[in-house]
Amino acid sequence: MRLLYNFLKDMRLSSKSFYFYLEIGFTVIIIAVLLFVVPENFENNLSIYLHLDVDDALYGEIMGTLGDNSTDEITIVDSREALEEAMSENRSSVGLSIYRENNQTVYNFVLQGYEEEKFKNIIKTTVETAFANEMFGDTDNITVITLNQGVEKLSDRINMIPIILTMNVSFMGLFIIASYIFLDKEEGTIRALAVTPNRMWEYLLGKMGVLLVSGIISGFLLMAIMVGSKANYLHFSVLLITTSLFGSALGLFVSSFFDTMTKAMGWLFMIIIIFALAATSYFSPSFSPMIIKFLPSYPIMFAFREVLLNNPDINYIYMTALGFGVATIVLFIAANYRFRKTLTI
Amino acid sequence: MITVKNLYHSYTKDDRYAVKNVTFEIEKGEVFGFLGPSGAGKSTTQGILTGLLQLQQGEVNVVGYDMRKPSREMFNKIGVSFEQSNVYNKLSALENLEFYKKLFDVPTLDPMFLLKIAGLDHVANKKTSEFSKGMKHRLTFVRSMLNNPEAWFLDEPTTGLDPAIASQIKDIIKEKNQAGTTVFLSTHNMYVADELCHRVAFIIDGEIKLVDSPRNLKLQYGEKLVGVEYKLGDELKKESFSLIDEMDRLKLNDIINNGNIELMHTKEATLEEIFIKVTGRGLQYNETSI
Ligand SMILES: Nc1ncnc2c1ncn2[C@@H]1O[C@H](COP(=O)(O)OP(=O)(O)OP(=O)(O)O)[C@@H](O)[C@H]1O
Ligand SMILES: [Mg+2]
Repeated sequence: MRLLYNFLKDMRLSSKSFYFYLEIGFTVIIIAVLLFVVPENFENNLSIYLHLDVDDALYGEIMGTLGDNSTDEITIVDSREALEEAMSENRSSVGLSIYRENNQTVYNFVLQGYEEEKFKNIIKTTVETAFANEMFGDTDNITVITLNQGVEKLSDRINMIPIILTMNVSFMGLFIIASYIFLDKEEGTIRALAVTPNRMWEYLLGKMGVLLVSGIISGFLLMAIMVGSKANYLHFSVLLITTSLFGSALGLFVSSFFDTMTKAMGWLFMIIIIFALAATSYFSPSFSPMIIKFLPSYPIMFAFREVLLNNPDINYIYMTALGFGVATIVLFIAANYRFRKTLTI
Repeated sequence: MITVKNLYHSYTKDDRYAVKNVTFEIEKGEVFGFLGPSGAGKSTTQGILTGLLQLQQGEVNVVGYDMRKPSREMFNKIGVSFEQSNVYNKLSALENLEFYKKLFDVPTLDPMFLLKIAGLDHVANKKTSEFSKGMKHRLTFVRSMLNNPEAWFLDEPTTGLDPAIASQIKDIIKEKNQAGTTVFLSTHNMYVADELCHRVAFIIDGEIKLVDSPRNLKLQYGEKLVGVEYKLGDELKKESFSLIDEMDRLKLNDIINNGNIELMHTKEATLEEIFIKVTGRGLQYNETSI
């Protein structure tokens, strides 16, 4: 019951504060940008640098094959050195060097180095099949690896939504809940609460409730306008609620190490920036170093992406939700424990 | 009702103590005052007694609860008013009290009644951000009465208030005490301590120097003085005579016998004078108050 009173009081307080509208306002701005500025799809194809050291006949054949492949940007370079140089300037590119050695055609793939194994295989297989099968019929030493699942593609505009949900809904909460707590601390009202039978967890959970409300409003607003009835809102709600709670629990936990907003701000800011790095891997899966996969934002983005697909990986969505649900509980208990000792000093 | 034994507290968790070896006991129905200058450790002691600061060393028992592991239930029985007012600025005075009222598991007083006591009933629905400092202070004060506390902790209850309001607050404290509430009162104002407290503790640099009733202190430390204005020829003379000093008494006797006295009044030592005598330091209060 007290939890409810805390929540209602905090709703009332925050509905009069700027922070409550920060997230929702941001969402509205983002929706406008998505609708009016961002094109449905933008060109972002993988560039291929090609170096050919073969006789004229083969050269002609290769060029002929490439002629009808207009989606990928292919640039012919003069030398192997030029190829590597071009690649170092364009990080979303791969290189292919074809030359003759010992009477055999050698296909030498040059990759950036941070591509995932899966991605390497895609490139290798695609190019190998394209070149070798069609042109030379020599398929003896080529292995074709079939991927586990067909990759469903989202429009570029819709593809941005998981990032917005992750950053604006799940992790904006870090900042906002910290502001709420420190505002109360400055006002001294935390001390007044601390001398009533009210419990710390009731206070903290009430605050998380407020964040959840603004998260749900922002999340549903974004989804309803951008995606409409196509998404599965059950999966979406489960994921939205768990990750939003996770964001605010993490915010509480981090805040519990500081006694003023100013001190906490730097760390919170850094955490959000680091979490945002996951977006780079989200957009170009070829860049997925281990360290980014360990960021909580990474699975959240991909789980939100699943929600948007026609055939979502239900297992992935719910495992992610479960994982973040458990993490939320752990963080909340830790934050509660720390705050009970430090918040009223 | 409240027992404190060998209490130490250091904010820095080292040997720089804000409160040092503090021991005292408060009986049920008593008004117990902590009198001391700024930085003496009054608020720190109140903080520990009300669970805002963790008990580090010593034994503290408040309304039957061991403060080493205070139960939340305890807070149904105590009321705490703060040195600095702390109310929700975005809520009205009434909303503030309505919210706190719901947090208790015991019968509570009517918020409107409390606002009336505080002289805030005419601004009950005004946001407290529009309140003056004194108005917020009064709201903080009456909020601490919501649950009809058995033990009432008041940190500088009248500081910064105008004399009329301060005197109203003092009346409320007296009334509540007569109804049985035990009061722990911190102040650097000797008049408040003198007027309200059954016993006062002199605290300075975190240590209690003595505990006694204001009356006993005055009897023990106060020199009784008589101020006299008398005519000597055409000249009007003003002099103070100690009732203890032999020479003074003879002189006074002389003047009385000559019968030229215009005005005569007894002066008793103030708690502040006694405080200075005992601790060697003044109360150095800078905010004017009654
Ligand atoms: N939060 C804190 N952190 C560190 N030191 C503190 C803190 N609060 C008080 N102190 C120190 O503890 C000592 C006692 O302070 P306290 O507030 O208890 O004094 P006080 O008697 O209430 O004074 P005042 O009349 O000014 O309210 C002071 O030296 C003060 O500087
Ligand atoms: Mg104080």
